[in-house]
Amino acid sequence: MGKLTKLHFIESAVWFSLVAVFYFYSFEFDREIEIYKFGATGWPRTVLAILILVMIGNLWHQARNGSAAQVGRVGVTDDEMENAEKSVGSLINIIAFLLLPLVYAWSLKPVGFYSATPFFIAAVIMLLGERRLQRVLGITLVIYSMLIGLFMMVLNAPLPQGTVSPFYDFSAFMLRTSNQLQNLF
Amino acid sequence: MWENFLAGTTALFGDPVSIAIFIFGVVGGMLFGAIPGVSMLTLAAILLPFSAGLEPAQGVMLFAVIYCTGTYGGAITAILFNIPGAPENAPTAFDGYPMTKKGMAGKAVGAAVLCSAVGGTASALLMMAATEPLAHWAISNIGPPEIFALVFFGLAVASSVGGNTIWKGWMSVLLGLMIATIGQDPVGGINRYNFGLTDLAAGIAFVPAILGFFAVSEIFIQAEKKAFGKYNAPKLSVDFPTFTELWAHKIAVVRSIIVGFFCGILPGIGATLAAFMGYGEAVRWSKEKEKFGTGKLEGVISSETANNAATGAAMIPLLALGLPGGALTAIMVAVFQFHDMEPGPLVFYNSPELIWVVFAAMFYANVSILFIGLIETKTILQLLRIPFHYLAPMILMLASIGAYIGRGLVLDVVVMFGAGVLGFLLRRSGYSIAGIVLGIILGKIGEQNFAQGMQMVHYDLLTYISRPICFILIAAGTITLATSIYRALSPNQGVQKQR
Repeated sequence: MGKLTKLHFIESAVWFSLVAVFYFYSFEFDREIEIYKFGATGWPRTVLAILILVMIGNLWHQARNGSAAQVGRVGVTDDEMENAEKSVGSLINIIAFLLLPLVYAWSLKPVGFYSATPFFIAAVIMLLGERRLQRVLGITLVIYSMLIGLFMMVLNAPLPQGTVSPFYDFSAFMLRTSNQLQNLF
Repeated sequence: MWENFLAGTTALFGDPVSIAIFIFGVVGGMLFGAIPGVSMLTLAAILLPFSAGLEPAQGVMLFAVIYCTGTYGGAITAILFNIPGAPENAPTAFDGYPMTKKGMAGKAVGAAVLCSAVGGTASALLMMAATEPLAHWAISNIGPPEIFALVFFGLAVASSVGGNTIWKGWMSVLLGLMIATIGQDPVGGINRYNFGLTDLAAGIAFVPAILGFFAVSEIFIQAEKKAFGKYNAPKLSVDFPTFTELWAHKIAVVRSIIVGFFCGILPGIGATLAAFMGYGEAVRWSKEKEKFGTGKLEGVISSETANNAATGAAMIPLLALGLPGGALTAIMVAVFQFHDMEPGPLVFYNSPELIWVVFAAMFYANVSILFIGLIETKTILQLLRIPFHYLAPMILMLASIGAYIGRGLVLDVVVMFGAGVLGFLLRRSGYSIAGIVLGIILGKIGEQNFAQGMQMVHYDLLTYISRPICFILIAAGTITLATSIYRALSPNQGVQKQR
């Protein structure tokens, strides 16, 4: 077992599960290609096979050296967080921060960019520790206006409009207003 | 050559519209490259429809100028925020960001300005002198086996420098290669790993992936530090590197120009691999290997020289063969097509004035990086004064828009934030996100060229490897790999610290 810890086993289990999912899913497209001997699965399965070998090497390294980094590696993770005091509140905060963008991305299709964005910006500012409501609203307004000004009015970039009323109606209103303003100039 | 260059210069600066487009390209490329979350590709994608209304030479020149200055601009965000503006700036962050944390941002950005200008200008001159002979050489000597061999070498270099261990470096690269298999396979067009989602049939675009793995994951890491009271704001400094400091790295500059130019010539490889290989070679030849990644000026110099040296070279396969070397050169193909033209050998005979306007514009764009870059740097450095809790939502929003604009798919925004969460977890565990991104970018190119190469040699591996350039590159990649594995396997060697 050497220097292996519970975390190392969890890490390896995640990697093995990933390989298993990709390997078994490869049967879904395991078809021959007339002009290519190795077919559509040849490349991904070879990558998976090499990945298994490297994972074994990684596990062996961890058993011998724990989580120690090798000399001469670049971009080695700093361990500032190892000694940090991790309160429940802080953990909830960071989990919320990780989930928030995923919720925002998921909401873009039904709600649209124009309606979802101000709430997202405000939530990010608050999760990062700003509690003064006036500041939160003010900065949200500034960022939102800059984005609308640059991408909607100057660059005419098409952004998600949403599919659900009243969000879709709000997007339509924003686009109409933008067109009218552009026509003015 | 000089007569043509002068003619190109006269055509460029003799027309007020061309001058305006040139200045717009220089400033736009630098700004979009330097704004965290968006990149020169975002600007290029937005401008593409408008280029139909320009003269062909003006249209191609605009994107060529954006390519030169945007490649430099992306270094600024890589250095200041650990967020590379483009994949080719990823190795710049390895040492640039630690320099910012040490209060040496000015030195790092100053070195990036100078080396981008030197690398780009040298590349532009080489491009002007050698486009036609190099294109002929490339046609007869470079085929799919050589490109696959270079991809292998590049991945071997990337895996050897990134991540906490060689194993994690390779796992990162292989994860990137697996992600690249999502979408249609490059030979038969069969859908792979789309998990029932129609949008995934087009594969994972690399712009959302890079934004997620670099920009979003960096925001998460800083947010975590802030939540646990470990956040330290980057220190502001505007001290540029001295002439002596830069002169000490002259060999690294020359080496990176050669590496960058060679990588840039090869179709499909582009500046990203150039930057990684420029950086990897700097580490390989350095007597202070252990200092790389901790804020060593040579790291910034080698990466930034190499990626800008690839910009001029990347125009060679585009203009001489009609083969784009990367995303931005692929956009240039679209500009040609807007005007019923095809890039390729005939352009040199049918439209020599277009070619020389573009060459001249790229030369002057690289020179202007030096002047405008130094002026712009002092202003850009002030971004470090913005408190993180105001800067973070701005970066996240710009990244979201940058991810969405490319293909107009909400899925790309989901992919970006998913990559952000994954990147956050992997970085905390010592994996190399730069390796993952390089795997994603080179995966499809590698597979496609491997398949074509195998078909060419009728699946005879010996014939495949015995092609001289192919053999050299595969041997170099194998030696790189073997050396790293030897170091990893040596008893009590190579372990630097216990986490």
